[in-house]
Amino acid sequence: MKIFLLKGILKDKSRSLLPIIIVGLGAMLTVLLYSWLKGVIGESIIMNANFNTGHVKVISREQAKTPEQMAIDLSLVNIAELKKELKKNVSDMDWVERIRFGSLIDFPDSEGETRAQGPVIGWGLDILSPNTKERERFNLAPSIKRGKMPSKHGEALISEDFAEKFEVKPGDVFTLFGSTMEGGMAFQNFTVSGTVKFGAQVLDRGAIIIDIQDAQQAFQMPDAAGEILGFFNSNLYDTEKAMKVKVKVNAMFASDTDKYAPAAITLQDQEGMGQYLDYADAIGGILITIFISAMAIVLWNSGLLGGLRRYTEFGVRLALGEDKTHIYVSLLYEAVAIGLIGSLLGSFVGVLISYWIQQVGIDLGGMMQGSTLMMPTVIRTAVTPTTYYIGFIPGVFSIVIGNALAGIGIYKRSTARLFNELEV
Amino acid sequence: MENEIIVKLENLVKRFPVGKSHFTALRNISLEFKKGEFAGLVGPSGSGKTTLLNIIGSLDTPSEGIATVIGKRINDLSHKAAAHLRNYNIGFIFQTYNLLPVYNVFDNVEFALLLQKMTATERKKAVMEALEWVGLTDKAKSKPALLSGGECQRVAIARAMVKRPALVLADEPSANLDSVNSNHIVQTMKQLNRELNTTFIFSTHDEKVMRYLDRVIQLVDGEVASDELIKHED
Ligand SMILES: Nc1ncnc2c1ncn2[C@@H]1O[C@H](COP(=O)(O)OP(=O)(O)OP(=O)(O)O)[C@@H](O)[C@H]1O
Ligand SMILES: [Mg+2]
Repeated sequence: MKIFLLKGILKDKSRSLLPIIIVGLGAMLTVLLYSWLKGVIGESIIMNANFNTGHVKVISREQAKTPEQMAIDLSLVNIAELKKELKKNVSDMDWVERIRFGSLIDFPDSEGETRAQGPVIGWGLDILSPNTKERERFNLAPSIKRGKMPSKHGEALISEDFAEKFEVKPGDVFTLFGSTMEGGMAFQNFTVSGTVKFGAQVLDRGAIIIDIQDAQQAFQMPDAAGEILGFFNSNLYDTEKAMKVKVKVNAMFASDTDKYAPAAITLQDQEGMGQYLDYADAIGGILITIFISAMAIVLWNSGLLGGLRRYTEFGVRLALGEDKTHIYVSLLYEAVAIGLIGSLLGSFVGVLISYWIQQVGIDLGGMMQGSTLMMPTVIRTAVTPTTYYIGFIPGVFSIVIGNALAGIGIYKRSTARLFNELEV
Repeated sequence: MENEIIVKLENLVKRFPVGKSHFTALRNISLEFKKGEFAGLVGPSGSGKTTLLNIIGSLDTPSEGIATVIGKRINDLSHKAAAHLRNYNIGFIFQTYNLLPVYNVFDNVEFALLLQKMTATERKKAVMEALEWVGLTDKAKSKPALLSGGECQRVAIARAMVKRPALVLADEPSANLDSVNSNHIVQTMKQLNRELNTTFIFSTHDEKVMRYLDRVIQLVDGEVASDELIKHED
């Protein structure tokens, strides 16, 4: 009987083609959206971690009250000692100090008058030591548009967009103005070694990157830093591990009563990243629910139309001695078969496209003008194991639900009524 | 047993709800059919022929009276029990053939056997034999759309006969056929009636069919107007 029904599905194009196309499209869209969102979320989490939050971040307790607003005067001190302690207690992480600052930069002309001037956000990073991973975290080398990487103290990278706007080129000298850790006036000269474009609007509007030691010098904060970031060696964020590190680090300084004593926070604790991570986990469920409902409604209707056309068949089958329940159940079997075929085709195409977008990426820079979120402008999908089966869930369920609803008509009609449809 | 009664109808009444009242399609029908009969219900359109066949075929139930078919009381059969009765004991032939267009001739006939516990080889043998009865072994692989009306109806006869039911109900089987084909299919059924001792009950307007009947029951307005046995000179 099952073979017989399967034969019917395969031979009766009008019965199977439309549902297979709908199921296939739904499965494909589910796969695409899922891998797309996973990709976007995954990449912006990585980007945020690298530029901003680390996997774990150690800052002063005072700074921890407002971790979004980095303030030079709330920096950590004695960081050489502190880093040593951190490395000893949490050895599977890379601990790096950074200084984030806001300041004004000023390009003088040959007479020493201001030629161009603008506010920037800046990073003092370890870019000069031979084994530093900070260059990779900021993806510096590939992001350079003009010039080259800083190779000695006193050199800086600035945003290409900013440089273009103010007609600045590599080799130009500028003065950095800011306030020191003690609240005094800070100024220091730097040479532009190159310009960078990161592919994130917030960064590309106006940023400078200098070496951490230059920053310490400029802001008069020797052996101090705004933050010490910890990155797992795997480079992947792990909620549980991060929580453990946070608890451990906070325990290390529990007895310290100083309000500038170190405090640890995780990636999740920062700037809505927690919600973002929850969202990333929930995304599969959300998509499945949306697609099951939408497709089930379409398939219910096409099932009703298909069912009308098949009253002859149902009538004949009743006459031949099949009972209604059996016919109804066979409709559900058909739904499963069509659902599987459609999902298989749809998922196949969906995974192929996702895989392709994962490889080449799609540049959405133009659409994200003015965005303050740290989101990569080149979108890549992420093909995960879930990508391969997620399309099957809405694919199979929607048509089973659709057919189950459509098939109720068989029950509602009396046997004789169904049978009478034969006569017309 | 030559005189076994396989259909017994006692004071059958069938009413259909029409709006708030009822329409009485069958009134007080009492009839018996014996094994091996070749009988026909004749009468004007709307006289209740199809309604009566549906009740005998356990597709519908009477409003009053008792219908007993092959030892089963139709009145109180469950869906499942009715289906079982049809599956093993009753074959149907329709005016419009009602072959399933997606399947070929062989599949259409085999379909009738799929609900019975038979192996594929047993089924194949039975299907080929049934196609032989109706002279269509060479069309086994054809799709119904490629067959003539007469051939389609012969496939339908094979489908009804393949499980060798005790009873075949044929509702105007020749209404869509020309006279040559009408004669042909009735002759085929008559032959099966003789060889397999299958009981046939027809409904028909068709003179050519009536000529072959052994018994003609006239229905008028849902009542039996006459019930005659016909003597054939052969
Ligand atoms: N489900 C139903 N609901 C209401 N009335 C019905 C129903 N089925 C049949 N009838 C009515 O019952 C009467 C008998 O119908 P039936 O189909 O048995 O006639 P028939 O003798 O087979 O006619 P024909 O020769 O045209 O096929 C008709 O008047 C018909 O309209
Ligand atoms: Mg009729």
